[in-house]
Amino acid sequence: MATTTAAITITSTDIMDNAVSISNTATLTTAGTDTGLTETTGLARKKFATGSNTVLLDSGAGIAADVTADKSAKVYIRNINSRGDGTKYVTILLTAVEIGRLYGGDWMFFPWSGGSGKDVEFTASDSTETTLEFMVFHE
Amino acid sequence: MATTTAAITLTSSDLLTDALALSASATLYDDGTTATGLTQCMTGRVKVHVTGGSFDLIPALASAEDQTQYVYIANKDTTAANYVIISMYNEVIGRLYAGDWMFIPWNAYDPGGDDSSKNDIEVQALVGGPQAIEYAVFIETSATNLDASGD
Repeated sequence: MATTTAAITITSTDIMDNAVSISNTATLTTAGTDTGLTETTGLARKKFATGSNTVLLDSGAGIAADVTADKSAKVYIRNINSRGDGTKYVTILLTAVEIGRLYGGDWMFFPWSGGSGKDVEFTASDSTETTLEFMVFHE
Repeated sequence: MATTTAAITLTSSDLLTDALALSASATLYDDGTTATGLTQCMTGRVKVHVTGGSFDLIPALASAEDQTQYVYIANKDTTAANYVIISMYNEVIGRLYAGDWMFIPWNAYDPGGDDSSKNDIEVQALVGGPQAIEYAVFIETSATNLDASGD
């Protein structure tokens, strides 16, 4: 087995009267065990120039086909673009449900149930070039 | 405005042939801006019991159209086999096992109005005892981000 950790730190000194400081570290394991995940897509970088809905992680193809609801998988996605004027973003969808918008520099990390039809998709707010980095850890 | 940052570090010395050390940090801004930081946040901790049903952990709001929001959720349970299912608009995102966390941008807009259950972030426990779930939501400035009173 391997040991992979994901650590998050959220900080703000001025969003509330008292400072906000959230830290957490997760060890990525197979479903319901203490055994570390041993498979990954590796870190990928892809450039897109389309405003159309596009499949980023096809749940029925490639390595992502190994991801199913009863297995453990974690997805990391980052919009590598600069923030620009703050109006360009990439909408991340799970099947047809819009999860949220990744502006330039934003990242997300979430468990992915996967399974048939559970693609991770995106739609850019315009057709100028967008660069995404992404990585899947799975069992 | 406020300055809030979210940073992630992914590390492993033995998952791949070479060590993995990935870091990223984002400053959380209002939609359509480059320097206006989010100014609202809510945090909480709840115990989620196995009941056969799911619960709204964070309700979507009619006032949140085109807003920027980010959500952090952590399962603070310590039994490896325990997990909760995190869903949005009845679409399962994934399982948060004991010790896991997630951080996502969130489309918090409820097009059906408050309480229509569209885009709520839902949580359901299927196994184990009550699991402690901690969460935080970071919200932009442009509206009152509270569920409208129905009474």
